[in-house]
Amino acid sequence: MITSDILSAILVSGIVLGSGYALMASGLSLVWTTLGIFNFAHGVLMTLGAYIAWTVSDAAGLNFGLGLAIAVSAAIMIGAGILIERVIVRPFYDHRDILLVTVMTTLAAMIFMQKGIQLIWGARLKQLAPIATGNVQIWQTTISAQEALIIVVAPLLLGALWLFLDRSRTGRGIRAVGQNPDAARLIGIDVSRLFIITFALSAVLAGLTGVLLGSIRLLTPEFGSEPLVKALIIVIFGGLGSLGGTVVAAYLMGLLEAALVFFVGIYWAPSMIFLLLILVLLIRPQGLLGKVVR
Amino acid sequence: MSNNTNALEIAGLRAGYDASDVLLGMSFHVGPTERVGLFGPNGHGKTTLLNTISRVIRPRAGDVRFMGEPIDQLAPQKIVARGLIHVPQANRLFPDMQIMETLELAAFTPRAREELKTNLDYVLNLFPRLAERRRQQCKTLSGGERQMLSIGAGLMCAPRMLMLDEPTLGLSPKLKDELAEAISEISSRGIPLLLVEQDIAFILSLVDRMYLVDHGEIRREINRSGELDHQEIMDMYFGSEGA
Repeated sequence: MITSDILSAILVSGIVLGSGYALMASGLSLVWTTLGIFNFAHGVLMTLGAYIAWTVSDAAGLNFGLGLAIAVSAAIMIGAGILIERVIVRPFYDHRDILLVTVMTTLAAMIFMQKGIQLIWGARLKQLAPIATGNVQIWQTTISAQEALIIVVAPLLLGALWLFLDRSRTGRGIRAVGQNPDAARLIGIDVSRLFIITFALSAVLAGLTGVLLGSIRLLTPEFGSEPLVKALIIVIFGGLGSLGGTVVAAYLMGLLEAALVFFVGIYWAPSMIFLLLILVLLIRPQGLLGKVVR
Repeated sequence: MSNNTNALEIAGLRAGYDASDVLLGMSFHVGPTERVGLFGPNGHGKTTLLNTISRVIRPRAGDVRFMGEPIDQLAPQKIVARGLIHVPQANRLFPDMQIMETLELAAFTPRAREELKTNLDYVLNLFPRLAERRRQQCKTLSGGERQMLSIGAGLMCAPRMLMLDEPTLGLSPKLKDELAEAISEISSRGIPLLLVEQDIAFILSLVDRMYLVDHGEIRREINRSGELDHQEIMDMYFGSEGA
């Protein structure tokens, strides 16, 4: 019997989960639609962003407060995104199996960075101070103010991303490059510059996700691993090549996970999600909202 | 840059894909306001030639000069910024973008942005059909509309010279006439033109001079196209096949 308080708990926790997934997956999806590769280092970028913010803000670190922490973290993420594009993706643009080769190079980067984070920050668990403190009641469920903040911030960031891609010249250029790089070159677009901007933007999104989730979850060098897997599923589930599909899929996935945790328990919920993904792909090979491949 | 500098000068251009050369040392030129045609069988290097000039692929040897300055080492976007615009064959442009969005985006370089308003008015006047369908997505356009949009996007780049690759590919005779009229209107503004075509009547109606391309080389220069009739060119075309 589902009572209204159970429904409320499922909906609210589903939306909190979905908000984090949407932020995480949109960065991954952006790189996929623009460059046609999956960046497996996307999760560890999230981890790195959170650790940097921790070092800048925590009393055990530099103790500069969260505002500066977020700014420093975002700035370093821009650099990290550019570095990844330059060092492990760019050399393979002309490779005929770029998708597979970059699976390998970005996986390697992921492992390398995880070990690097462990070396720098150690294995001890850390946690960011929440940006918002206290509790908030939504419908019949009480959540932390930080979780409520995530619910609000995620759509704002995604809306800003959409505006950027839809309205700005650079954003439109990024979409054009994703749809037809040769035609983009022939109207004077510097394709490799936009690849770099795309990677930097995606890394900043990952870092911000890390900062937002870093006060709800505990920081470990593997902090970003599970979100990466979820984000991958979401990008495929939502339909490859559709940022809108990714965002819708992220919220659906959050709600689904919340419901599954309630009905089948936390032990089986992850496997059930994969099962449902396979079913969706059997019925709709192009993904939930994806278009038939051109 | 004096007035009699050639718009385009190609010397000894070699290029190709992987291990094979497609262009085996091509040389030709396009005069300051000249309209030049490239004619020849499929698969003999005409498209590769345009791709090499706009540097979608890299030349292996030879020189390309645009308005007197070497451009063969420039990145594609730098070549576009200088005003040498390549409208590629069967360009499907950006499938999920709308017509107006595409035209506005095509004015991407700073110089093109300055002329955005003027050029947009010009394009929409030249191709009223694009004006009627401004919110339509590229992927839903017919072949003729797509070709108009493709040329329109080229015009939005603020061209100082246009290179068109088979603009009539797959179009009906009626649409070909419409397109020929538009292209002749464009070149009447003094924009030099390099036109690749298979349709002899179409090319003859538009160019001052043409080159016959065969096996990656310029086989023949045909001056004063008005004196050549259709049959002569057909003979040359098929005669060179056996050579």
